[in-house]
Amino acid sequence: MWIVVGVASVFLLKAAGSKSLVPSKMQSMAELLVEFIRGIIQDTMGASGMRYFPLISSLFIFILFSNLLGLIPGSYTVTSQIIVTGVFALGVYALSLVIGFQLHGAKFLGILVPPGTPGWLLPLMIPIELISQLARPISLAVRLFANMTAGHVILGVLFGLTIAGGVLIGWLPFSFTIVLYGLEVGIAFIQAYIFTVLTCVYIGDAIHLH
Amino acid sequence: MPQFDSHFFSSLIFWEVLSFSILFWILYKYAWPPILETLETRERKIRESLDQAEQSRATAEQKLKEYETKLQVAAKEAETLMTEAKHKAQQLLDENQQRLRADTDRIKEEATQDIERERRKAVDDIKRQTADLAILVAEKVIGRSLSDDDHRRFAQEALAEVAAHSKN
Repeated sequence: MWIVVGVASVFLLKAAGSKSLVPSKMQSMAELLVEFIRGIIQDTMGASGMRYFPLISSLFIFILFSNLLGLIPGSYTVTSQIIVTGVFALGVYALSLVIGFQLHGAKFLGILVPPGTPGWLLPLMIPIELISQLARPISLAVRLFANMTAGHVILGVLFGLTIAGGVLIGWLPFSFTIVLYGLEVGIAFIQAYIFTVLTCVYIGDAIHLH
Repeated sequence: MPQFDSHFFSSLIFWEVLSFSILFWILYKYAWPPILETLETRERKIRESLDQAEQSRATAEQKLKEYETKLQVAAKEAETLMTEAKHKAQQLLDENQQRLRADTDRIKEEATQDIERERRKAVDDIKRQTADLAILVAEKVIGRSLSDDDHRRFAQEALAEVAAHSKN
């Protein structure tokens, strides 16, 4: 985790250091990331969501760098720990609840009733919506954890097969690991992206209610 | 599976919260503001440049229109001038032609009159000389008695003389 903090900080601080209008390579990479996150926030939460930009972008950077650094052989993926992703997911969900109650007070409970629901359906809809709300942090945590763990488990198994197969047939699982490695890099990005988008959606729901 | 070993949970939570807080603080304090500022500055610059370009384009278009109008006016003026000049030239040409024709007619008339006068003079001269010659012949004829042969000879002589005179 310290490595994640270190690498991410160094990268972004260095990029932030050069403020030239015509960006250098590192600066444009960092700006691409920032533009990307800003785009997600503005698409899901609108312009008012930019208040949460520092938190959401830090979260994205932390998860992205954890995922990517975990792919370096010999290192460890912190996001493959259910407790790590769980703390993030619970934190995000708690934050969305806090924002919701802060902005709308008791009216925020209206999030449990989808708009246009007839009165007689309320006893059915409220428990369903309650479950879906409670499932949010769980699904958020498990999705990231499971993806990261599964990727590493598959890579581990293939490497095991490579070693067990020896030179004769070991090349087959080994070539698979190369392909899977590329896939894993994509998944590292995609999972960080999904986590961020869902964070934005949850906070956006809390801001705009329906 | 080590992922579900609750023995590490508390320390993991602690380190995660701590490291994320530090990362968040560093980025919040030192990374995001300058990057966002740079992006906004660039966006503003680009927007300004585009606006300026748009403005320049509009000005250029207006100038072009002005020039086109001026050009049209100039072309019309040139056309008018040309027509006038052609007209004037035609007029001059007509005048010249008329004067020339008049001159020619006058010269021709004068020449004809001269020729006619000279001709008449010449004819008068011939007549006078012929008369003189006739008188001379008559005098000679009257001065002598003549035979038929003489008549003939004199007449021939006279004729030859006339012919010689008229040759001269």
